[in-house]
Amino acid sequence: MIMFALFMTGPFLWLLSVSLMPGENAFSFPPKFLPTTIKFDNYVQVWQFMDFPNYILNTLIIVVIGLVLNTLLSCLTAYPLAMLMFKGKNLIFSLLVATMIIPAAAGMVVHYLTIQAFGLTNTYLGVVLPSAITVFNVFLMRQSYMGMPGEIRDSGKMDGASELRIWFQLVTPLVKPSIAVISLLEFMAMWNNFLWPMIILEDPKKYPLASALTFLNGQFSYNFGWIAAGTVISVLPIIIVFLFTQRYYMEGISGSVKG
Amino acid sequence: MRKWFQKESLTAWMFMFPGLLLIGIFVFWPIIYSVPLSFTDYSVISDTHYIGLKNFRRAFHDHDFLISLWHSMVYIIIVPFIQIFAILMAVLMNSKLPGVKFFRTAYYLPVVTSMVAVAIIWGWLYSPNGIVNYVLMSTGIISDKIGWLSSQKTALASIMFVTMWKGLGYYMMIYLAGLQAVPKDLYEAASIDGATRLQQVVKVTIPMLKPYVFFCTLISMMSAIRVFDEVFVLTNSSSLGGPGTATLTSSVYIYDRGFKQFDFGYASAMGLIVSAIILVFSIFIFRFNKKGGVNPY
Repeated sequence: MIMFALFMTGPFLWLLSVSLMPGENAFSFPPKFLPTTIKFDNYVQVWQFMDFPNYILNTLIIVVIGLVLNTLLSCLTAYPLAMLMFKGKNLIFSLLVATMIIPAAAGMVVHYLTIQAFGLTNTYLGVVLPSAITVFNVFLMRQSYMGMPGEIRDSGKMDGASELRIWFQLVTPLVKPSIAVISLLEFMAMWNNFLWPMIILEDPKKYPLASALTFLNGQFSYNFGWIAAGTVISVLPIIIVFLFTQRYYMEGISGSVKG
Repeated sequence: MRKWFQKESLTAWMFMFPGLLLIGIFVFWPIIYSVPLSFTDYSVISDTHYIGLKNFRRAFHDHDFLISLWHSMVYIIIVPFIQIFAILMAVLMNSKLPGVKFFRTAYYLPVVTSMVAVAIIWGWLYSPNGIVNYVLMSTGIISDKIGWLSSQKTALASIMFVTMWKGLGYYMMIYLAGLQAVPKDLYEAASIDGATRLQQVVKVTIPMLKPYVFFCTLISMMSAIRVFDEVFVLTNSSSLGGPGTATLTSSVYIYDRGFKQFDFGYASAMGLIVSAIILVFSIFIFRFNKKGGVNPY
């Protein structure tokens, strides 16, 4: 088990180690596992070379818009499917499930044409919109809302609350663990998304971190230390978020998959 | 009563409207619109003409496309490996060993990391002077340095290995959830009936995990056929993937035709072909699954 853990985390540790090595160190064979002298030069240099604050800001904008939209829309759409009675409910639900099975490999081309038709190329909204709601998340949220007793709604009705209020103030706070899961999934997906932003954003200055990193990787493939430092900088935030939230995440996953 | 029902209908549709609108535009529309697009030579630069089945005929005579399809099929080999390792890991992680939480996190790290970062790390590990060669040479498994990603023979397998490494943690978590959902009294009942530990695993754990195996197999098979990111970043996105076409997968080829050559009509046609293939596989798995269990969702 320890061997396996080393196998899974080893590449990360090595990355960290390379990022702390002075340049010439990284090229030798047999490769050095630990730096002879620890230096933060790579971090300083790559930070000065690449406009990290800018890329981090871009990433944050994309992640925040995406996260808010996706969580909100997924919950709004899932709620009636689980708790309200209306005509066509089963049809809508079956159609949604069907889309999870039918893959749209060519989707990207049409997505691009759509975003272009909306005049949203080179905007963050254009980056976020195709993933502003995911069927998978609607599914997970519906599953959680289904677990809520109908009496909560009835009591809200009795007190004269509007449906929107019942949804927002009564029922949704009870499914917080599932919301935590879909937000985390979305956070990771948005943070790591690199290809779609590169297609939609014409201006490389608007790139999020992951896209900017491919750019760095292509241009400076000879400079190990820099790329390693840049990669560490890009990976660190998401690992920190994961470490702090993994408890909710793992509980939530087992909760929602079980259904 | 009727009036109340209508009002509730209206509220429901109002709740769902924004979400369904977006799903309509970004999920249903691409599926629908790809069809007419695939019968044209739509390419942004020139006028669009209806060209019938020409794109499809072209695809089946396009050597590169056939190779890319073949590679996508080859990629499926990793599916059973992922399932077996993920189940083993989940069983280990489900025990009450000290430090289990730490290991869960360690196994999950590759899942949260961006594919770009993963590709950068593995690109170096695989380089001729990299650690993979060093470890294999010092243990005597190989005698000469291998350029894992630059050799025709090893490039695809090397990328498949990265996909496996990155994905294992995800499937482990789903299986772990499945294991924890097994009611404890089933084991108690089994041990009262005198079942050994092994019998319990075979007779209780495995049948209870079946729906999860189905779900994970389906998901991992679809993503194997559609694999893009790994190939795109590890082979540096410059050409058709890797040395020559050694790692060309169908998604990479569709992307190349669509967004590099702006041959949207042809890209749509190929997308439909790949979708059809995945659909056939899914139906096959669904049929196969009919005998046992339900979808975990």
